[in-house]
Amino acid sequence: MRNGIEKSSNRAVMNYKIKNQLIHKLKSRFSTYGYEQVHTPTFEDYDMYNSIQQTVNKDEMIKVIDRSGKVLVLRPDGTIPMTRLTVTDREINGSEQRLFYVFNVYRHPNGESTEKESTQAGVELFGNKKPEADAEVIALAVHTLKEIGFNNFKIEIGHAGFFKELIEQANLSPQDLQQLQELIQSKNMVEMEPFLTKLDLPSEIQEALYAIPLLYGSPSAVLEETKSIIQNERMQHILDNLLAVIEVLEDYDVLDFITLNLGLINNMDYYTDVIFQGFVENIGKPVLMGGRYDQLGKQFGKDMPAIGFAYEVDDLLEAINQHKLTDVRNEPAPLTLYYVAKQRRKALEAAQSLREQEYRVITKQLEIGTAEAGILFLEDKNVLIDETEQTFETTEELIRLVEKGGA
Amino acid sequence: MEKLTIALAKGRPAKHTIETLEKAGMHFIDFHADSRKLVFFNEERTIKLIFVKAVDVPTYVERGAADIGIVGKDNILESRADVYELLDLKIGKCKFSVAGFPDYTADSNQTLTVATKYPNVAKKYFSNVGQSIEIVKLNGSVELAPLIGLADVIVDIVETGSTLKENGLVVLEDIEYISTRLIVNKASFATKSTEVKDFIDQLKNALE
Repeated sequence: MRNGIEKSSNRAVMNYKIKNQLIHKLKSRFSTYGYEQVHTPTFEDYDMYNSIQQTVNKDEMIKVIDRSGKVLVLRPDGTIPMTRLTVTDREINGSEQRLFYVFNVYRHPNGESTEKESTQAGVELFGNKKPEADAEVIALAVHTLKEIGFNNFKIEIGHAGFFKELIEQANLSPQDLQQLQELIQSKNMVEMEPFLTKLDLPSEIQEALYAIPLLYGSPSAVLEETKSIIQNERMQHILDNLLAVIEVLEDYDVLDFITLNLGLINNMDYYTDVIFQGFVENIGKPVLMGGRYDQLGKQFGKDMPAIGFAYEVDDLLEAINQHKLTDVRNEPAPLTLYYVAKQRRKALEAAQSLREQEYRVITKQLEIGTAEAGILFLEDKNVLIDETEQTFETTEELIRLVEKGGA
Repeated sequence: MEKLTIALAKGRPAKHTIETLEKAGMHFIDFHADSRKLVFFNEERTIKLIFVKAVDVPTYVERGAADIGIVGKDNILESRADVYELLDLKIGKCKFSVAGFPDYTADSNQTLTVATKYPNVAKKYFSNVGQSIEIVKLNGSVELAPLIGLADVIVDIVETGSTLKENGLVVLEDIEYISTRLIVNKASFATKSTEVKDFIDQLKNALE
């Protein structure tokens, strides 16, 4: 069955249809991997967000004050409420959970954009810290992007622990750390060298930090290059973990869509291990972001390994429009039944039976000069379709006439 | 092979960059300095050059309207664009400086009025040194601001320093060195890896 969408001349209707079709696609695919949809409240407790370390930037949150003076925040992200929902549910008790959500998140825009509201569609896999779990959500990301119709896209995989481990030994001031992150994120080798020299670090750490932005490309090559900058057991462990994830992804047969980028640093600090983002050709920013966040559950009182990702649905829509991937059908507009006042009852009755049959029907009283294409109710059981007078006895006969007439 | 779109800053730097590209073996036949055309292709039509205002180059690249941009570090810093910065073309060298009257002394307890074309650069610098400031955003003749009492100091690009000198100002503090850089859209770097890397390598060779 084709699940294309019908054209409409109303732009708002059309935009909504396209967005809805996309969300439907994502939801069906998430569900075929065993994920189930849940919802969380739009208003969240500001103190909850405030008490969690490594969370959304507080200046970006949109706050409101309720009648008692309590500060609330419009849900600024999906992962934190999803984690709370899962961790605080006693019934679940640490068992594996596959959940997904589609809802709006709200933030004060940063930079030039003015949009405060955006739709996110994301999955979270709780209670499983195996490389198979990491690979499953990444493979799901690849599967959905393929299905939407993109043929040139890449999932960049990095590791949040790798950089953290290196700077742990470096003991930098917050300002230097910020600058270092910016240099790595922009792969700015030109300024990286003098900056690192200035920092006066042990030479092996300096060399490792200098190498990070360049650890980019096909998984096998990057993993090989990374071996040379391993400083300690923790880093070796991280590399082994990445290798294990890549091996599972190879079995999913999606390696063509994977790039390793060890210079990837996500601004969401709660990520602990594998992090990733998805890029589609000609769209400047990532359409999806995700990663493993094994420590977040603890902040709600329970150890709960977790990995997930979310699509920025509006950015994804932009990509779909740009790549002209919307599946639009040329379907007829709704049927219009015109009637003269005397025939109204008959016409409305016929409209109802057609609607029961899933036809889309609009009814209108006939005024002089108004009838366009449509069905005109004349005498009892007589209709005018395409200017030919026809008769019918039962609804089935009417439907047959309608289909034949192609009104 | 995927096509690459390169955004260049209009004007003097563009001519310089085109020369470098020619040296790297990329020829843009219908390009000449006083052309009013804004789009050019190389002979193989694998590269599309677009000419935009210098301040807009980072935006074009960040949004993915261009895969690669060649533009001054001043504009990259001011735009705060989230892009890769991969190459220093070592042309258009100058620096960002704080300038003011020679007898000016800093007082970190007082709010400093700063006139500049680059509010983001100024804000970042003074917040790093712990000085509270008020910005006066100007679009030109910034040197005038201290003279007529509009600002205490200015943050501006300094090449030779002669404009400052003629207006009785001196460099008080250097902020950052500036030159022409090559920036790359992050999605293009992921989805057109080979093409982007080849282009950069060609350019690198021509620069040596």
